[in-house]
Amino acid sequence: MQKYISQHNLNTLLDKLIAAGTRVVAPRMNTGTPLYEPLTSSSEMITDQLPRRSAKEAFFPVCEDIMTYEKEGQKVSVSDIDPARFPETVLVGVRPCDAAAIPVLDAVFSWDYKDEFFLERRRKTTIVGLACTTADDACFCSAVGLSPAETKGSDLFLTPLEGGGYACETFSEKGETLIANHPELFSEPNNAPPLPLAQPQTEKFDLKRVKAWLDEHFEDPSWDSIATRCVGCGACAFVCPACHCFDIVDEGTEKAGTRRKNWDACGFWKFTHHASGHNPRDQQPKRYRNRIMHKFKYYDDKFGQTLCSGCGRCIRVCPVGIDIAAIVDEIGKK
Amino acid sequence: MTPIDTSIYAAVSAAIRAEAQRILTEGQVSAVVGYTAARRKGSAQPVVITDANDAARLIFTPACVNNLAVYLTKAKKEIPKKGRIGIVVKGCDLKALTGLMGESQLKREDLYLIGVPCAGVLASTFDPARELTADSIAPKCSECDAHLPQGCDFLPPQTPATPALDRKYAAEIARLEALTPQERWAYWKEQFAKCIKCYACRQVCPFCFCEQCLCDRNKPQMVETTPRPAGNTAWHIVRAMHLAGRCAGCAECERVCPMDIPLNLLNRKMAKELKELYDYEAGFEVNDKGPLTSFTEKDDQSFIK
Amino acid sequence: MHPDKPKHAFEPKIIAFVCTWCTYAGADLAGTSRMQYPPNVRVLKFPCTGRIDPVFILKAFQQGADGVLVSGCHPGDCHYIAGNFHARRRFAVFRKLLEFVGVDLNRLQFSWVSAAEGGKWVEVVTELTEKVRAMGPMSEFKELALEEQWSGAINTAELKEAYNQI
Repeated sequence: MQKYISQHNLNTLLDKLIAAGTRVVAPRMNTGTPLYEPLTSSSEMITDQLPRRSAKEAFFPVCEDIMTYEKEGQKVSVSDIDPARFPETVLVGVRPCDAAAIPVLDAVFSWDYKDEFFLERRRKTTIVGLACTTADDACFCSAVGLSPAETKGSDLFLTPLEGGGYACETFSEKGETLIANHPELFSEPNNAPPLPLAQPQTEKFDLKRVKAWLDEHFEDPSWDSIATRCVGCGACAFVCPACHCFDIVDEGTEKAGTRRKNWDACGFWKFTHHASGHNPRDQQPKRYRNRIMHKFKYYDDKFGQTLCSGCGRCIRVCPVGIDIAAIVDEIGKK
Repeated sequence: MTPIDTSIYAAVSAAIRAEAQRILTEGQVSAVVGYTAARRKGSAQPVVITDANDAARLIFTPACVNNLAVYLTKAKKEIPKKGRIGIVVKGCDLKALTGLMGESQLKREDLYLIGVPCAGVLASTFDPARELTADSIAPKCSECDAHLPQGCDFLPPQTPATPALDRKYAAEIARLEALTPQERWAYWKEQFAKCIKCYACRQVCPFCFCEQCLCDRNKPQMVETTPRPAGNTAWHIVRAMHLAGRCAGCAECERVCPMDIPLNLLNRKMAKELKELYDYEAGFEVNDKGPLTSFTEKDDQSFIK
Repeated sequence: MHPDKPKHAFEPKIIAFVCTWCTYAGADLAGTSRMQYPPNVRVLKFPCTGRIDPVFILKAFQQGADGVLVSGCHPGDCHYIAGNFHARRRFAVFRKLLEFVGVDLNRLQFSWVSAAEGGKWVEVVTELTEKVRAMGPMSEFKELALEEQWSGAINTAELKEAYNQI
């Protein structure tokens, strides 16, 4: 279905959703940092900046409770978190790189174990993508086969038009329902041309060749030159729309507490640290190798997909300037 | 915004290259830790050079933000610490090395210090091609007292511009101090809530060289490891406390924070208190005792009943 | 034998970190001398004030303390010669840090109480208890413990209940 919506009507739509108790998550400023966060009013939404953290946290939170326990005398009672209590959500203004990573994550969260926490949020969320008009030289969506107009992952996709407003296209029932529930705010598509889209400058990677090289080079001296300088923080994984490792910890006292699931990162030395004291990834280059391998080989082996959507966030935040686009590009040319 | 004069950086780069090549060729050092250009326009990254021919890759630009001292600590096992190592240091980075020497982590004779006459570097490398101006310059540079690092083995002869800038930390600390405790709590609560416990602040810190961070331990768990507001607040308080009297203000923690939390404000506040209480400033001389590992019998105890 | 205790709407929880050589003995003296002091204080004994890590104070507040007392030997009397001198500096700095992040320092008291000063112990504990009682509960850390990152928040009554138990 193709429609048109003016900026004013889009704001009206969001305000109506908020008033109706739907959680509307969109890019907004939080003390000077752009983040995807629940809006209290449509006026908070910003569209000109890529949020610092990706949209994955709408499905895979930074930290969430998965059960609580209580002990009284000898009796221990455990209460599970009921995913039915997750709020209905509309995720708006999602950049194509963020939206495209979400169906990629479906694969791992619904593989042998069905992660109800992820899947229930996924069921309850409508994703409204927004074509991207600004890129910098860290952006490389086009290098991994996506584009600033990529609609993958979006239920409804908005393309900003010359003269204001957005062309809307639906890609799922959820997108159609959103329009059907508010028909007065949408009109027939008009002929205005789209605003000029972003133009990422990076050359397309030869992902097949990249994988072929990775298949053969688990041990290779170049890992040292790539990642000796890695300091072992989790910034790259935490801002990544596709990284999905988590850790489970119990916090509280022996009387009562909570089991929590929170983001983890393969860059941390503790990530593979055994209770025995042995650490199979004993040096930083081995940990960084896992990041590349997981994204461009392991995930491909298992699910036939690439675990990177080229948002460039890891390149921007890396404290020591590790540039995944440059690394993968170089591997593809080996 | 007023641009900062960085015209000497080209000559400084050339001098660093020549010196690195010389000391590597002569075998005075086994490696040189410096900066080299990276793919993105204007960007720079840390590099370890062992071959004299690679010295030509070294640069110094406003994007050379890193405090390379972190690579010489025992926390970074990947960098071989054999023989003497050359390191490119700005004045602020040298203060960290001075502190590490005081804490018996490094020996002066194991280092070959290549100083950088520095007019300032960028606050953030999100956009490394940004021009260095009074606006884009790192807040630490607005309070810099070490444009020319002292006591280096080699220092290029150029004189850096030392523009008078508004002292950003001093102003912000004064602003926060004037608030009520409730207002300050609200300010930090908002800031710490953003934290995602990526520990970039810890990993880039030259003084966070513990083999096992207290905040990674779970038996006993002194600090919640989960990235929730409660655990985040505890983490940042503990971090500031553990750096009190040691941090000399390279502000790497603040620069690398992907959530833009003004972490160096806490460090600077601690430094200010230590100066007022014990007349101690970190980073100027090699002291084997810091202000919190020493005492005098006359120390202030007006707060104790 | 006990005078009637006045009833209060709010009974603060006070955690006292004390050294075993002076203040603990001082508190003991208060007890054996049958001096009355508020039962709000929970005493934790350490070898020396030098062993009291600032993170303990933080933890106490996080776990629901409304006030914290740290007490040890008078300067010069330390069983380990200089433990309390080191502690004095550490706490001087730590309280400045807490103040800067917005903790009201009226909830945090330091004192020197010797083994002979049962009376001083009673005085210090009573004064802190009454001061904190007048201030009301320490809500900042408790409220913080209820907060989630937005993405993990479901904010159910049961969860709040569970936290309140902790």
